[in-house]
Amino acid sequence: MNNPSDSAAARATNVSKIYGHDDSEVRALDNVSVEFEKGKFTAIMGPSGSGKSTLMHCMAGLDEMTFGSVTIDGIDVASLKDKDLTKLRRDKIGFVFQAFNLVPTLTADENIRLPLLLGNNKGNEEWIQKVINTVHLQDRLSHRPSELSGGQQQRVAVARALASEPAIIFADEPTGNLDSTTGNEILTFMRKAVDELEQTIVMVTHDPVSASYADRIVFLKDGKIAGELLEPTPELVLDYMKQLGH
Amino acid sequence: MWRIALKGILGRKARLVLTSLAVILGTAFLSGTAVFSATLNQTFDNLFSDVFRNVDSYVRSTQVIEADFGQQERQRIPVELVDTVKQVSGVADVQADIQAFARIIGKDGKPLGTEGNGPPTFGSVGQEFKGALWSISQGRFAAGPTEVVLDEASAKAGKFVLNDTVKVVAQSGSREFTLVGIASYGDVRSPGGATFALFDLATAQEFLAKPGFIDDILVSGDGSLSDTELAMAINQAIPGTYKTETLTGAQITKETQDEIGTALSFFGILLSVFSYIALGVGSFVIYNVFSISAAQRQRENALLRAIGASKKQVTRAMLIESVVVGLFGSTVGLIAGIGLSKALSALLKAASIDLPSGGLVVPRSAIINTIVIGLIVTVASAWLPARRAGKVPPLAAMRETAIEYVALSRRRTIFGLVLIALGVVSIVSVTNGASKTLLGFGILFFFSGTITLGPVIARPVALLLGKPAEKFRGVTGTMARQNSARNPKRTSRTAAPVLIGVALVTAVAALAASISSQIDGVFTQQFKGDYAINTTARGFGGLSPSLADDINVMPQVQRATGIGRLTVKIDDKGQFLTTINPATVEGVFDIGLISGSYADLTTETIFVSEKYANNHDTKLGDIIQVTFADAQVKTLKIAGIYTYDEIAGKYTVSRDLIKDSSVISFDLGVFIKLKPGVSNESARSELQAAVDKYGQGTLLSKREYIDSQSGSINQLLGLIYGLLFLSVIIAVVGIIITLLLSVFERQREIGLLRAVGMTKSQVRTTVRWESVITSLIGAVVGIVLGVGLGWVIVYALRDQGLSSFSVPIGSTVSILMMSFIIGVLAAVYPAWRATRVNLLAAITTA
Ligand SMILES: Nc1ncnc2c1ncn2[C@@H]1O[C@H](COP(=O)(O)OP(=O)(O)OP(=O)(O)O)[C@@H](O)[C@H]1O
Ligand SMILES: [Mg+2]
Repeated sequence: MNNPSDSAAARATNVSKIYGHDDSEVRALDNVSVEFEKGKFTAIMGPSGSGKSTLMHCMAGLDEMTFGSVTIDGIDVASLKDKDLTKLRRDKIGFVFQAFNLVPTLTADENIRLPLLLGNNKGNEEWIQKVINTVHLQDRLSHRPSELSGGQQQRVAVARALASEPAIIFADEPTGNLDSTTGNEILTFMRKAVDELEQTIVMVTHDPVSASYADRIVFLKDGKIAGELLEPTPELVLDYMKQLGH
Repeated sequence: MWRIALKGILGRKARLVLTSLAVILGTAFLSGTAVFSATLNQTFDNLFSDVFRNVDSYVRSTQVIEADFGQQERQRIPVELVDTVKQVSGVADVQADIQAFARIIGKDGKPLGTEGNGPPTFGSVGQEFKGALWSISQGRFAAGPTEVVLDEASAKAGKFVLNDTVKVVAQSGSREFTLVGIASYGDVRSPGGATFALFDLATAQEFLAKPGFIDDILVSGDGSLSDTELAMAINQAIPGTYKTETLTGAQITKETQDEIGTALSFFGILLSVFSYIALGVGSFVIYNVFSISAAQRQRENALLRAIGASKKQVTRAMLIESVVVGLFGSTVGLIAGIGLSKALSALLKAASIDLPSGGLVVPRSAIINTIVIGLIVTVASAWLPARRAGKVPPLAAMRETAIEYVALSRRRTIFGLVLIALGVVSIVSVTNGASKTLLGFGILFFFSGTITLGPVIARPVALLLGKPAEKFRGVTGTMARQNSARNPKRTSRTAAPVLIGVALVTAVAALAASISSQIDGVFTQQFKGDYAINTTARGFGGLSPSLADDINVMPQVQRATGIGRLTVKIDDKGQFLTTINPATVEGVFDIGLISGSYADLTTETIFVSEKYANNHDTKLGDIIQVTFADAQVKTLKIAGIYTYDEIAGKYTVSRDLIKDSSVISFDLGVFIKLKPGVSNESARSELQAAVDKYGQGTLLSKREYIDSQSGSINQLLGLIYGLLFLSVIIAVVGIIITLLLSVFERQREIGLLRAVGMTKSQVRTTVRWESVITSLIGAVVGIVLGVGLGWVIVYALRDQGLSSFSVPIGSTVSILMMSFIIGVLAAVYPAWRATRVNLLAAITTA
């Protein structure tokens, strides 16, 4: 089912995720269909508990969905066994989490190359250098995470997500733990990665300013897609959120 | 709320089980060995309580020679005393008794029973006697010089039926008898697996002992006197010049049981030494588990402190937990130990030490000991971690992750180095002549120093040993290497049990290698023949002296000479004399005579070693007074001095010295030199035929013989390895527990790695290599210490004739390989657990 001509880096079709059963049933995702276009920066917003993280986890093969299908770079995620799914995450998907992104025993450089090293893959050295330069980490490469600031750690995480030239990068509140200056720095790098390095990024955020770095915003509410906004600015986002009754 | 509480307890339960596991193992070995020893004692007690069941009095000589290793030889008494005893009023029946070596040869020419090890093979007197345990089940008792009776078990094992011809080997040689009866022993067919050949009194004296002599007299009373009165009456009837004593049946039973008890107690002590080593190793594991669990609960404890718990309360909470763990663990350990004692019997059986089986005995002292010691060790091991837990600052509750306090104090380094320096100084000062007791302290200092330094050296050593893993396993290797180095205290505590086990094994191996190479050297130097006949019998029985004579006259043989050993008293102390045949010894067995000649060795003379001569300032012509087992005292003149005393010992005499006495004498080896030009192959079959005629001893080529001499060392070694294996098991369990706790602690990290693309098999590889590196740290440091320890032991035994130290290269290599395999095996379960880490839970928990 690999279809390179597909313009979507990732696509969810009628995805539902149900926790528990019967009375205590929680529909974290309710029949969600969404596409993330190649080379675009998409933000996902929505109130707490609306299913943003769940959507990312299902799309990234970290969690199983109850119904529906997800394709990454044309590959049907649900059909993969654990081993191939792991390879998919390693080779086609990049991750940035809110915290605890790095392996404490490895240096920054090793952390950046981790997916490549795990795949016994040398990777594209030119590309890796470019990524490292983009996130300004040249002089921090031999440091371990405990010797880096929170912002630097997140930059390493972004660099790691980029290192294997994945089809898509998922970032769940990557700036949630950072002050706004440092956060903006990270967002600028992500923006650059999309513009200059032609990467595809999907980012969950609560912050309208952060969201305005994206090309498009998808709004979730109660596990459903509640709307979309293209070419957002912080003001537009705030207005839209008011409309949705946030 | 209930759910959370329940989950907490369940989480704790897993930790409780892990902590208890170490206690369980440690105490299981303690109770296992105690139960095993008690059971063994009881088995033998029961066995010997039957022997003299119907004997009211027991007459024997008072003359005993005690030699090293608790061996004793009691004199025989003249047979005419039997009549004297019979005349005493109150005596109903008497039996002259002989208990001597006799081995029954099966129809296939192989002796029944195992030579050397295993139950003894007896020759005795069998006759109608009221107090006897032997009763005829088929045929009749033997009468006359050509008849024999066998015990039922032996008859069955050898497939003998009445009127068969049975060959029996005894001190005086081998002889064929007609089987005229089969006897049973009380209600059992054979006591404790021993074999018995029973003769009439005259035959027994002549064939088993010396004519005119018996070992003891069994008396059965007519009931008119009490046992004590009877014994006194008999004692009065025998003239004092015979030097005899009369015991009651109860006394001789008690004495026999006590003797066995003493013999067994050595074994019991050996077992308990190793079980305490295992417990010591186990306490490291317990300490480690408490430390890790305290570290993992740091936040919880800090929170308690923050909401107002005092230091004391936090510490006390942990100590209470340790009491629970200690009680629970040692109770389970006690029960497991009872099962273990059975396994121990099986282990010994595998080492071809067969023991009679009996009911299980669980002494109360074993129960109390196990629980009390288990509890003390557990609480003591938890003491430091508990105190540390109390010291947690309330602020630690706010910290992101609980990392064990890893700062390595300078004090520790200095303290460790000082201990090591003290160790070195002690050992060096001994080599310069200080008292040897310092050696023990030296070793203790050195070990304590190394273990104190453990956390300091763990990191660099882990990084060094992890290099290959990194090289061959890429990033998983890197992570394993870093993981094993990230928490040096934990790593060193995990490796310490391995270190102790490996150090002990290496030291034993070094000792064995040194002894082996020494034996090799000594025999190569002193044994000049082509073949040897060896016997594994020690102390009881051996080769008939006529075997050497028979072989000496064979046409292919230039010379064959027998070497034997006598126990005598010199200056009131038990001593061994080596007996040689001066007529045949030259050129076959070399004792390195430096003065005198073999011809000078007569029934009036003795040779002594050069070392003895120097120590006692004696010279040729001096006199030595020797008391033999039959109370005969001889004054021997020193007629020669020799240098090679490793085999011959301090004294060497001619075997003719005891030819006409009642003293038992066997050869322990026969050395054979072939005539020039005789081919080894053709001679061998002829020699073998001669040996087969006696049904005893093993014919070996020079090389085989020398190897077999070291072989017995290896057997002892096997036992010691088996016992040290207990400690190794605990060390492995220690690694498993630590890895499990580490995996638990690193759930998030593992989840993250899985998220960014680490496959399950890579997760397993990481855990496995971490385990291997930890195990190798213990092994490498342990080997270094073990070689040192071995050297010290060999040095301490220098006076015992151990002169050269050999490094056991082969053993060292196999220990390294073993620890590699142990590392891999220990990681199996933790690695599997690591792959089961819930990916989402791990990365979403903040
Ligand atoms: N393991 C789980 N079991 C049961 N319900 C769950 C589980 N994980 C998530 N949920 C529920 O699913 C819904 C969606 O959760 P999700 O974490 O996706 O929200 P979110 O949009 O990421 O919220 P936030 O902005 O707070 O991170 C929530 O109602 C949550 O309670
Ligand atoms: Mg979320």
